[in-house]
Amino acid sequence: MVDRPLEETELVERARRGDLRAWETIVRTHQGIAFRTAYVLTGSAADAEEAAQDGFVKAYRALGRFRRGASFRPWLLRIVANEAHNRRRSAARRERLSLRAAAEARPGDAVPSPEAALLARENQERLLAAVERLSDDHRDAIACRFFLDLTEDETAAALRVRRGTVKSRLSRALERLREELEGEL
Amino acid sequence: MTPLELRLQALGHELEVPPAPDLTAGVLQRLEGGRPFPWRRAAVLALALVAIAVATAFAVPQARTAILRFFHIGGATVIRVDTLPPAVERKDAGGLGTPLSRAEAERQLGFRLALPRFTGDGPRRVYVIADSVGTVVVRWHGRRVLLSEFPSFGATSLKKLAVNATIVDPVEVNGRAGLWLQGGPSHTLTYFDRQFGFRETTVVIRGNVLLWVRGLLTLRLEGKLTRRQAIALAQTIR
Repeated sequence: MVDRPLEETELVERARRGDLRAWETIVRTHQGIAFRTAYVLTGSAADAEEAAQDGFVKAYRALGRFRRGASFRPWLLRIVANEAHNRRRSAARRERLSLRAAAEARPGDAVPSPEAALLARENQERLLAAVERLSDDHRDAIACRFFLDLTEDETAAALRVRRGTVKSRLSRALERLREELEGEL
Repeated sequence: MTPLELRLQALGHELEVPPAPDLTAGVLQRLEGGRPFPWRRAAVLALALVAIAVATAFAVPQARTAILRFFHIGGATVIRVDTLPPAVERKDAGGLGTPLSRAEAERQLGFRLALPRFTGDGPRRVYVIADSVGTVVVRWHGRRVLLSEFPSFGATSLKKLAVNATIVDPVEVNGRAGLWLQGGPSHTLTYFDRQFGFRETTVVIRGNVLLWVRGLLTLRLEGKLTRRQAIALAQTIR
């Protein structure tokens, strides 16, 4: 007989009955997106780690309130994002995000000219700066939807707003960015 | 996607995001150790508890000039008044909280329930009020008895008793101090809800009550038992 990986629904059900090994698998599966979500909301690795860990602990204890049949990841991200927001509020400020140092090209890669690479990086830095100047609501919507590739439903859950609110925030935020970056796009 | 949306998506991949740490060990360690009750915060709340108990009693117009005596044990405060507030009848498990499996209840409460030795699997349901008070129904001497447990800091039951109508006697359970309350028609139960603060519900209690402290918990037996029967049951609880 071949062991098959357990479905998430089954893992959640087992964890709900007190199976910590099942919860461990869930933590391992979702810790990446949980940490990244907390990081883009707080801008601090230490706060993000704490928020993600607290989120998993609180989610486990709240499993009794998780609606069977509902999508698990948005529910989890909602709890983690709430922890991240609490930390951001108590810190009274959020660290700004930054771009990675340019990666070294591997042999055989198509390499842009140094001028083109510099221009592209400057454009992305300007875009990031423009995102950081948005209001917190708009900036968080952009970060969740595009930086984290969350769906609109997941973004709504993480930001504790309705899906319609996510749409309108994204629409206004994109409009604002277009105005700021006029001529570049 | 529009060009701007594509650029934002690409920007997400270029962000300096530290690698995600492995959270499994930390999460499991905290969960395997049981949920730590917020003792420090609870201790501060406990100090406020008696004041709130008094304020609650004074909020009942008939009781404003009639608080006669306090008894405090663990997380419970007993207050004698000369007039009782209006109370409702509690039917069966109504008002005891949400019925849960024992494992789920202990996870929500953050502590392991102390229970009598059961034949068979023990209680199928534990009723939980606001993550703070756990109650099971046990049979003893052919009677239905409620056993409730809550942390000695952070949750309370508050009794208001009619003068002379209820006997309040100190007792010992396994060498620890307890209180035996016999007779008297009703009391007001006030409990601490970790999410919403203090809440009050007024119920009629038809039986007698034994209160005692075990470790960090305050335990409460309620039912139509004699003092000797209640203490004998309490002594079996481990």
